[in-house]
Amino acid sequence: MAIVPEFLIKRIYQKGSLQKFETGARLVLKNVLGPGLISGFNYVKINDVIFEPQDVRFITNGREYTGVDVNEENPIVFRLGQFGTLIMSGKDCICDGVNTIEIEAMNPEAGKVRLSVQDTAAEPA
Amino acid sequence: MDISFDKYSLIIDGKRIFIKSGAFHYFRTPGEKMARDRFLKMKAGGYNTVDMYFNWNYHSEAPGQYDFSGIKDVRKVLKAAKDAGLFVIARPGPFINAEVNAGGLPFWLLRMEDVIPRNRIGTEYKYSPKYMEYIGEWYDNIIPIIREFDNVILFQIENEYATDTMEEDYMRQLYNMARERGITCPIFHNDAYFAGLWADCVDIYALDLYPYINPNQNWKQDNFCFDTLDNVEEIFRGAKEDSPPFIAEMQSGWFDKWDGMGYKHIRSALGDEHINIMTKTALSQGVTLFNHYMAVGGTNWADLACDEVYTSYEFAAPIDEFGVMQSNFFKSKELNYFLDSFDFTKTEPKDFDFFQENIYAKLRADLTNDCDWLFLRNMNSQHSEVKLPNGKNVLLRPYEMKICPINLRLKGCEIEFSDAEIFARLQNNNEEVLFILSDKNSNIYLKDGKAISADKKDFERLSFETDGKKTEFVFLTKQMADKTWLLGDKIIFNADYVLPNGAIALEKNQEVAYFDLKHKFSKKNFIVNEFKSIKKPELLKISAVDFCSPEIDADYDYSRWSKIAGKTDSLSCELYDEFVWYKAKIPQTLTEITLSARHLFAIYINGKEVLNRNSYKIEKLQEVPETISIPLDKKVLTKKVNELTILVQNLGFDKGFSGDTNNPRGLVEFETTPETEIEFYTCQKLAPERTKNYKSENPYLTKLTVNFDCELKENVFLAKYISFEDFNCRRATIFLNGVKIGRYIKRTHVQDKFYLINEFLKPHNTLDIIVWEKDRNIKSSWGFKSDIKNVKILLATFKMYQIFK
Repeated sequence: MAIVPEFLIKRIYQKGSLQKFETGARLVLKNVLGPGLISGFNYVKINDVIFEPQDVRFITNGREYTGVDVNEENPIVFRLGQFGTLIMSGKDCICDGVNTIEIEAMNPEAGKVRLSVQDTAAEPA
Repeated sequence: MDISFDKYSLIIDGKRIFIKSGAFHYFRTPGEKMARDRFLKMKAGGYNTVDMYFNWNYHSEAPGQYDFSGIKDVRKVLKAAKDAGLFVIARPGPFINAEVNAGGLPFWLLRMEDVIPRNRIGTEYKYSPKYMEYIGEWYDNIIPIIREFDNVILFQIENEYATDTMEEDYMRQLYNMARERGITCPIFHNDAYFAGLWADCVDIYALDLYPYINPNQNWKQDNFCFDTLDNVEEIFRGAKEDSPPFIAEMQSGWFDKWDGMGYKHIRSALGDEHINIMTKTALSQGVTLFNHYMAVGGTNWADLACDEVYTSYEFAAPIDEFGVMQSNFFKSKELNYFLDSFDFTKTEPKDFDFFQENIYAKLRADLTNDCDWLFLRNMNSQHSEVKLPNGKNVLLRPYEMKICPINLRLKGCEIEFSDAEIFARLQNNNEEVLFILSDKNSNIYLKDGKAISADKKDFERLSFETDGKKTEFVFLTKQMADKTWLLGDKIIFNADYVLPNGAIALEKNQEVAYFDLKHKFSKKNFIVNEFKSIKKPELLKISAVDFCSPEIDADYDYSRWSKIAGKTDSLSCELYDEFVWYKAKIPQTLTEITLSARHLFAIYINGKEVLNRNSYKIEKLQEVPETISIPLDKKVLTKKVNELTILVQNLGFDKGFSGDTNNPRGLVEFETTPETEIEFYTCQKLAPERTKNYKSENPYLTKLTVNFDCELKENVFLAKYISFEDFNCRRATIFLNGVKIGRYIKRTHVQDKFYLINEFLKPHNTLDIIVWEKDRNIKSSWGFKSDIKNVKILLATFKMYQIFK
């Protein structure tokens, strides 16, 4: 477990960005920690629903990646200040009221980085 | 010394001082003499400060026991820094990281009940009064020594610390503990997350910045790697508005790991461009205190290393492990001399409306010199022409960064704009000489409309005069600038290096030139008659070969070893050496043993190897534990009661940055099938380290002895090494005159040259190389002994300079 304090990791999640989307959900991340690479999405869990890498897409800097495409050999550049939209599909997961979101991603230097936040879902635009 | 600060800079005795610091590890460059050599070289390169970690573990073998004698005498090191004219940044931890064993925490502390190292478990804060008590003991011992030196200008508490909930008790208590013990200078912490952490608990907020931490990556392609540095002023202002921007660790190299790519790769990957970009970008962000980490490389001799790193801690530092200046030293010298030429301690960012793809441009108003400085950086892989709003075009080479003066008033002229860079300046009230780096693509534009090309040969000169005051430009090529040295009001050309005491170091016969404002140029010839050229590597003759692991021999008497009562790991057994032996009797009825040992280990039964394994594995910054089962039968367990011997090589405890310092080492787990209680006895160190009666019958560990002479002279600097390039054994531990100076593991390919640390070199030397070989590589004891006499070990000189005082 890398020693990146939880409260710092939480800053990556854009509060209020969770939305129901198609048969799943989407949310927005912003890199506020420092320049870096994402070298994998292990899973995204919203409430009790787990999305495996194949059910996760990440759109950033005009490009779309699926979770299975991202690995140590093919990391995503996620620059300081850069936004990215994470889309989870195939399963209903959003509930009324407060939702629990857990994202576990990989960074080549820090190893596993786990983000756990709670948020209410916004109405789809 | 009165030390204060404001939002711009540190103020020492009422004067703003730009802190140009470099990190040096006295424990990795042992002894006063080596410290003096490195400090004088740092000072020669324009550094005015040395940053020092104080390694608790290095000084304390047991609670209440502290050793500051001999090569551990930090007073002598601090005195050497003072004598060299350097300020000191003192960083006594308690935790230091630094890739040292257990992050600098004493081994004995790791096993103490009720002690939670660093008051945290994982990322969870857990306050431990007992831990604080022991820190008090360390501070009681180290702070009085630090306080003896008035050149200590800054004091750091903890290092790279964070927890999930960020309770402040620990940091506040450390701050108070330092103050209660008489620390009067500003106190800071080094934030590894550049997130303003602990800013309210300290006087000055500081952070560390390493844009290149993965040698597999190419920072030149990942040009986003400077994102944080490019915005660091904002981070500083957000964290603590009234303290000066301080990069407590600013990358000037990087460490290599056991599974790494070697320092040659790292040095070449970083090039000189990286330190240039780091330092100049920091200046562009208003930084007035920086610390190049590292300025001086070192050696993980003895058991200094954490498990991640190997013997060399060369770090691709400006002054390498051998004490030799490398090309990034010369780049850093250029920057330091420039900073000595113009006071950069009070600047403000200034709007600059400019955009060009992959060009970083930042303008600063200089409130001292009443001019502006434009910082330009090209992150394109090709030359880029930068078209500036003032109509000037600047051609930048790939990954080049420049500092361009705008409206810089000099004594005899005014520079409107220049993309030719200033190297150094000598001046008095009426006269000044600016030494400018020649560059065929650069120009100096004067206010009177004159444009001067910087495409000049060495020592080409131009003079300007206004109102009886004179400015002279003297051009220097990069090659000459590297051999040019500022010495007070004098400048010396064409020397390999010149120390602050005036000593000139030369590799070969040379005509050295001097310049000062009063006498102008003069020349002197130096004849290097001590050595014409460095001797070619010499093949060392092995004088003795001895099998040296009696512990493995059948019927070895281990009755005087310690009997293990509970857990077998090295912390539980209080055995902190690299090598730990375990012996036990096992019955013939066993069908399997299962064990986990860290890091390299071998199992011998009745004097015969059963397994020899390297279980060291790190993935994603975490140790990957390995448990291995070995089936046994009567072919192995030949007797009713059999003798089991396990030798474990511990490569070091975790450094504690992302793992736990007290992750166990040695024999971590041991089980048998069927379950049987085994009574283990243990001891540490290899037999030749413990006893004179080390000879054995078995060939698994073999000591090769080599003798060589070394001519050591006061007026010669030399750096020697032994090379294992053609060495065909798997593993070896190297002792120079009884001091462990290296670990060799062939499979890793990371290091095959080992520095013969000057501190331990004598006129007549003995090298003992203990080889640990696998059974399958030993056909017969006799044959092996005969073959090993022919292994190739080369003795070579890396550099040699004659010093003219």
